[in-house]
Amino acid sequence: MSFIILKNIVKEYGPAHALRGVSMEIQKGQWVNIMGPSGSGKSTLLNIIGGLDTPTSGEVFVEGIKINALSEDDLACFRREKTGFVFQQSHLVPYLDAVENVMLAQYFHSMADEEEAVGALTRVGLEHRLKHRPSQLSGGEQQRICIARALTNDPVLLLADEPTGNLDRENTKMILELLKKLHSEEHFTIILVTHDPFVSQWGERVLMMEDGSIKSDAPINP
Amino acid sequence: MPPLIHEALLIGFKEAAKAGLVWLVFYSYLVVNDRKNFVKPFYMGLLVSFLIVFMSQFLPSDIVTKENAGNIISMSFALFLIMSGAALFHVSGTNMLSISASGYGSTLPEETQVPSLKPAAWGIIVLLFTVIFFAPDGMGSLLQLRELSYIKGRGSMSYISALIGVAVVAAVLFTVVGLYKPYKIGGFFDVPQLLLFLAMVKLFGSGAKEFAELSLLPSVQRGFMKFAHDFVHQVFLFLMVPDHPLLKATFWNFIGIFFGPDFASLVSLIILLLFPFMFLYHSLRETLPEPETRSVAEGRKIKAFILSGRRKRALPVACFIVLILIAWFSRSEETIMQMYLPKPIPVVADRGVVMIPVRDPTMNVMDGSLHKFSVSYEGRQYRLILIKKWDNTLAAALDACEMCPPEGYGLRDDHVVCIYCGTPIPVNTLGLPGGCNPIPLAFTIEGGFVKIEIHDIVKKWGFIKPLQGKESMH
Ligand SMILES: Nc1ncnc2c1ncn2[C@@H]1O[C@H](COP(=O)(O)OP(=O)(O)OP(=O)(O)O)[C@@H](O)[C@H]1O
Ligand SMILES: [Mg+2]
Repeated sequence: MSFIILKNIVKEYGPAHALRGVSMEIQKGQWVNIMGPSGSGKSTLLNIIGGLDTPTSGEVFVEGIKINALSEDDLACFRREKTGFVFQQSHLVPYLDAVENVMLAQYFHSMADEEEAVGALTRVGLEHRLKHRPSQLSGGEQQRICIARALTNDPVLLLADEPTGNLDRENTKMILELLKKLHSEEHFTIILVTHDPFVSQWGERVLMMEDGSIKSDAPINP
Repeated sequence: MPPLIHEALLIGFKEAAKAGLVWLVFYSYLVVNDRKNFVKPFYMGLLVSFLIVFMSQFLPSDIVTKENAGNIISMSFALFLIMSGAALFHVSGTNMLSISASGYGSTLPEETQVPSLKPAAWGIIVLLFTVIFFAPDGMGSLLQLRELSYIKGRGSMSYISALIGVAVVAAVLFTVVGLYKPYKIGGFFDVPQLLLFLAMVKLFGSGAKEFAELSLLPSVQRGFMKFAHDFVHQVFLFLMVPDHPLLKATFWNFIGIFFGPDFASLVSLIILLLFPFMFLYHSLRETLPEPETRSVAEGRKIKAFILSGRRKRALPVACFIVLILIAWFSRSEETIMQMYLPKPIPVVADRGVVMIPVRDPTMNVMDGSLHKFSVSYEGRQYRLILIKKWDNTLAAALDACEMCPPEGYGLRDDHVVCIYCGTPIPVNTLGLPGGCNPIPLAFTIEGGFVKIEIHDIVKKWGFIKPLQGKESMH
């Protein structure tokens, strides 16, 4: 069975349709990019897969668990233990330093462990920025903290919504190389939303969305 | 219908409340940990306890005394307390019988599970502990009820009153449990905490001697105080050269602070609190096991699970500490209040024998109170005390012990208390030599007189250590 299965997902906001019946499957460990114009429903789809949002109708299975049928508590537990999120805006706590931001995610998962948080930041190449606050770091460094934070609880699914949207080409490349390295080491599944054709060339598969449905689904040839 | 005897009502009430509380906590523990198969041995234990209590009625009455019941209760309290500590060291803070982590399919590592005994063995242990817990208290209460029915002369009314007390508690308990199903409290207990809980129930609800003494606390307090005091005293005596010039009365008065009633009481309190604090330390400070898991995050999750369990189980223990403190201090203020200090009644030695009437119009030495007498002989003054013990025999002793300056004894509750150092000595241990006990005297009762040889008095007064500085008065 596929790692992620979507069956005819519909999401409506009043009369507006964000998603008009999306069905697809994603294999475990795959890196899938989602592209498409603004308003085509990319973020909505990502949020539904990650349990941040619920579909109006349709079914979502992750690792065989039907997450659109989970209770609020179980859904929170699913997000905590199975997923990691990276957004365009870093959403770091401004008055906590890098290590503390990672430890906060550990705390909400189970308990904080400083040693482990330092390890997670070292993996993303920030061992020399441990005690810096977000405001003292560049956008690329902030996004690397976000990646460390998203991966510290060992998720099986990394969901990234325009993770490089605010970055220049140099930093974008650095983040993507980092993701590639971590992905090859740890085999989590990546779903990454982007506008940027350069970004969409990384990974294994690209979905094109338009007006709430998938227009094309193609593998990337390296 | 004749009016109820409310002392008896209270006894029924107390015993039922104890049993109900223990049942609720134990049952909840079994529910939470999915161990309902131990309910049966528990109920069987209750039944066996009941039978033992019933059978105890047919034992000779000099064996089934309140004093013996009291001793057994104290012993079972100590047993549960010590067992709880032992269990704590055995389980290392994880659930002893079963453990399961919440969340998505992670199982706990082997070392956090403690399988040890077979269910059948556990069943027998549960049964045994239930009997050890309930039988002595039941026997003590039944004795009280029997005594009440003698005192009040109203036949079976005391038993009926007690049964009504039991019924009231049972009704309340069934209603509350039926309505609220408060089984969640089981999550706050593991085997060590359960044993500690049992010890605490004993401590707070198991007084067997008198109605006034509803809990074991006063006996534990006095027992500990005596122990702490004697220990300190002996250490001092052991360390110091008896005739050391420093050891004048002033010095002893100064040292006396350290084993006066306040200090001894404090030491005893610390001894009692040792176990709960051991639990707290264990729950909050002890290092966690390092689980072997697929990922560090999962290991962290299991550690967090163990840690939160430990914290949860520290909560009842913290409550016990607060309860002990409150009870201890409210109790000790009460007891330090009234001390009966009789004036010595002068008596004379006639041909080498001191004769004291057992009963005359002004006094009765068998009335249970402390009676003090003074004798002058060859220009020196000696004091002695007489008191009736619980077994209705008389005890005669000097109004002094071998340790303290001979300031004598007062009476508080059923203890004679050394005026100098405040050590309480149970009246029934009078006549035994040593420690802080008043030095016993040989006596006979003849023709309505207590007769004591003056030579015995003089000789034993000589045992009083002169080092304390204060010479016997002239
Ligand atoms: N909370 C909401 N309430 C109402 N409409 C919403 C809400 N969230 C999204 N929408 C609508 O749903 C549609 C899809 O939005 P979504 O955010 O998924 O688009 P997107 O593809 O991520 O766009 P972008 O590239 O600009 O981020 C849009 O038309 C949007 O206006
Ligand atoms: Mg979007």
